[in-house]
Amino acid sequence: MATNFRLNDTAVTSTVDDDTPLLWVLRDELGLTGTKYGCGIAQCGACTVLVDGAPAPSCSLPVNAVAGQTVQTIEGLSENRNHPVQLAWAEVDVPQCGYCQSGQIMTAVALLADTPQPSDEDIDAAMSGVLCRCGTYPRIRAAIKRAAALSREG
Amino acid sequence: MTVTLNRRSFLAATGAALVIPFTVSGVAKATANPATLTAYLRIEPDGAVTIISPVSEMGQGTHTGHAAIIADELGVDIAHVRVTVAQQPGPAYRLRFGQMRSVGSFGIRAWIDPLRKSAAQARTVLTEAAAEQWGVDKAALTVENGAVVHAASGRRLPFERLIEDAAKRPLPEEPTLRAADTRRYVGKAVSRIDTAAKIDGSAEYGIDVKLPNMLHGAVRLSPVFGAEVDSIDPASAPGAVAVAQVPGGAVVVAESWWKAKQLADGLSIRWKPTPHDKMSSADLSKAMRAGLGVVSAPAAVSRGDAVARLNAADRVVEADYEVPFLTHVSMEPITCAAQVSDSRCDVWMSTQGHDVVLDALKKATGLAGESIYIHTTYLGGGFGRKTHGEVAEQAVIASRAVGGRPVKVVWSREDDVQQGQYRPVMTARMRASLGSNGRIAAMHARLSGPMMGKEYEHVTIRDNFDFFSHAVLGNQRYVAGDYRLDHHEVDVPPSTCPWRAVSSSQNGFFLEAFIDEVAQAAGQDPLAFRKAHLADHKSHMAVLEAVERRSGWGSPLPGPNWGRGVAIVESYGSRCAQVAEVEMVDGNPVVRRVFVAFDCGEAVNPGQVEAQMTGSVIDALGPALRCQITLKDGRSEQSNFDGYPILRIDEVPEIDVEIVNTGAPIGGVGEPGLPPTAPAVANAIFAATGKRRRKMPLETA
Repeated sequence: MATNFRLNDTAVTSTVDDDTPLLWVLRDELGLTGTKYGCGIAQCGACTVLVDGAPAPSCSLPVNAVAGQTVQTIEGLSENRNHPVQLAWAEVDVPQCGYCQSGQIMTAVALLADTPQPSDEDIDAAMSGVLCRCGTYPRIRAAIKRAAALSREG
Repeated sequence: MTVTLNRRSFLAATGAALVIPFTVSGVAKATANPATLTAYLRIEPDGAVTIISPVSEMGQGTHTGHAAIIADELGVDIAHVRVTVAQQPGPAYRLRFGQMRSVGSFGIRAWIDPLRKSAAQARTVLTEAAAEQWGVDKAALTVENGAVVHAASGRRLPFERLIEDAAKRPLPEEPTLRAADTRRYVGKAVSRIDTAAKIDGSAEYGIDVKLPNMLHGAVRLSPVFGAEVDSIDPASAPGAVAVAQVPGGAVVVAESWWKAKQLADGLSIRWKPTPHDKMSSADLSKAMRAGLGVVSAPAAVSRGDAVARLNAADRVVEADYEVPFLTHVSMEPITCAAQVSDSRCDVWMSTQGHDVVLDALKKATGLAGESIYIHTTYLGGGFGRKTHGEVAEQAVIASRAVGGRPVKVVWSREDDVQQGQYRPVMTARMRASLGSNGRIAAMHARLSGPMMGKEYEHVTIRDNFDFFSHAVLGNQRYVAGDYRLDHHEVDVPPSTCPWRAVSSSQNGFFLEAFIDEVAQAAGQDPLAFRKAHLADHKSHMAVLEAVERRSGWGSPLPGPNWGRGVAIVESYGSRCAQVAEVEMVDGNPVVRRVFVAFDCGEAVNPGQVEAQMTGSVIDALGPALRCQITLKDGRSEQSNFDGYPILRIDEVPEIDVEIVNTGAPIGGVGEPGLPPTAPAVANAIFAATGKRRRKMPLETA
């Protein structure tokens, strides 16, 4: 059965089996590969996208669960890498292999939308679902604080 | 289906930047073609510089280092440099052991001189071309921002207008290098050249490759290590485009990966029995520990007569240690896309083992090397696991099974965790005697476990010395005299594999945990004891003194359940000392702070050296505290991150890094930060509790 939803401000229709995880619809059917597969069981957060603004593990979310909803992926975050979180990520030079960073960035975007000036505890609570195998965590923390400062400065 | 493709996905769908050599149009061109001036350098028609690197980018920052080295020597802005990986292994891209591989923390140290020379050669012929065009002495010319400049007349010729002429000139054998004080990038914390692509989802990894007409493959492989296929019933995968048998299992090919995965999971497949169908970690541990007591084993190092001296000594310290199998869990799982015909084979792959893949492809296709092309994408982590080539063979077999259509095979996380290729298990018995001067008089290290180097055709084990088993213990600096390192070999069912600092990490734990015990027996402070033994080694002393100073070694800690531990390991040509501060909470260690001092000689990019040190400590802490692969019924008991819990952001200690340069030759960076962490934590646990934990992981000891 076809599933309609909004993806990065565009109406899209998925025609694969509607219990297919959103992750594979995004990657293989709709061609947006910025969202990554890491574990398939909602343990690593590499596949995190925003569904109606809230972070969700797209590997464990059947596409029919987002029918009629708004999905945002890394590709839809900004036109030119100029979202405050991306600007901060670039300034702090966060990524190493980079594979988890879409999930990190989307999770951080949701955190800052809810909590514009997060404490270390807020960062721990929001970000502990997203694994980074390279250990970029200290720079992720620094970049979230920098993004908060950039937003504050306007 | 309504699909809106944005520009980025359109580009990806039509062939990624990493796949097709990049050229920029729309700029006034002096020539229509790029000029490949050396094995490592191409100048594009718009003046952009493409580096043809021997090394993959898997997060370690090597491509940014290569860009910095070339940009400085060639005289271009680093923003105009891009890096690709050579598509066909050849002598120019091979390390001294004859393989093109991104391993051994060689990325910068092995290539800085060849790349710098290559850029100097290119600069020389570009300058000669300008000198001839202008009719001036080439000594009067300089390079600046991608152009040759004649300061006297103010004339300037951009490289792209010189490449046609320059490409015809012979390269100088010994080109003159630019003065070090002209460098803008090397030695400075340069931002990574791949950051932009890694924060907007556009960076292409192996798993992201899209090819026209491509199908998807999922694997179903034997859960018991090394078991061969007995029978497959293809009818049990209805809707599959193909079910292809591969060594140890099958690839199921379908129109989408998710569908292929569902069909692979449901495939009816049987495997033949193996001798180790019932083997467990306890069996393996017992077999290895029995080897610790065997009277004689082949020696990898034998100086003086350590065993006789130990047997005659009054004061002997002895301790046994054990480490488990570890896996890599690169965030990007194992993957390869292949397209094969009778005359040509192309693979698109996040590989760090080009010659291994090439050998696998030659065998799988029967083609000669010149008909095989390896298109290297970014790696979503490698850590040694992506040196192997089995997935390339699987992809080729799958492509053949569907008439040569491209097939992208992607392993699930469970496949990645359960298919072996682990850091070896190992046990060690360490013995040392103390002389009347309070120093170690003689030492014997006995290893019992697998000999990893024997799995590799290209590795020659001379005089029983195997780098993959004997690093660190092979060149320990504590005992110059009577010392023996020997190894009782125990075969294990899973294949073993390079793992970040393989052998240096196991042996670093054995040696540095033991040195702490010897210091204790000698009644000496563990850091002072190390300094007393390493006083003649400038770099070792510098990093030890740096962590002593920065950690406030000897100063009071916040509470009675806290402890401080030190370790120093020399590996990959670099020295790293660490002090860990640990608080015991409910009997388990919580690592609060880690101080790192590191000497790799010249730091080409100090910002990335710091990133590698921080990342290595965090990487090491998972296995130090709790990660391990255990065997039951001949298979791995773990299958995903829930059973292999690497560190999350809320558990990361404060990490302090000091980069020291004592003028030592340039060393590796990606791996040497890892080995000291586990022993520093083990030694801190002893300092907090008075009890030794000698088996990793330390949480369950």
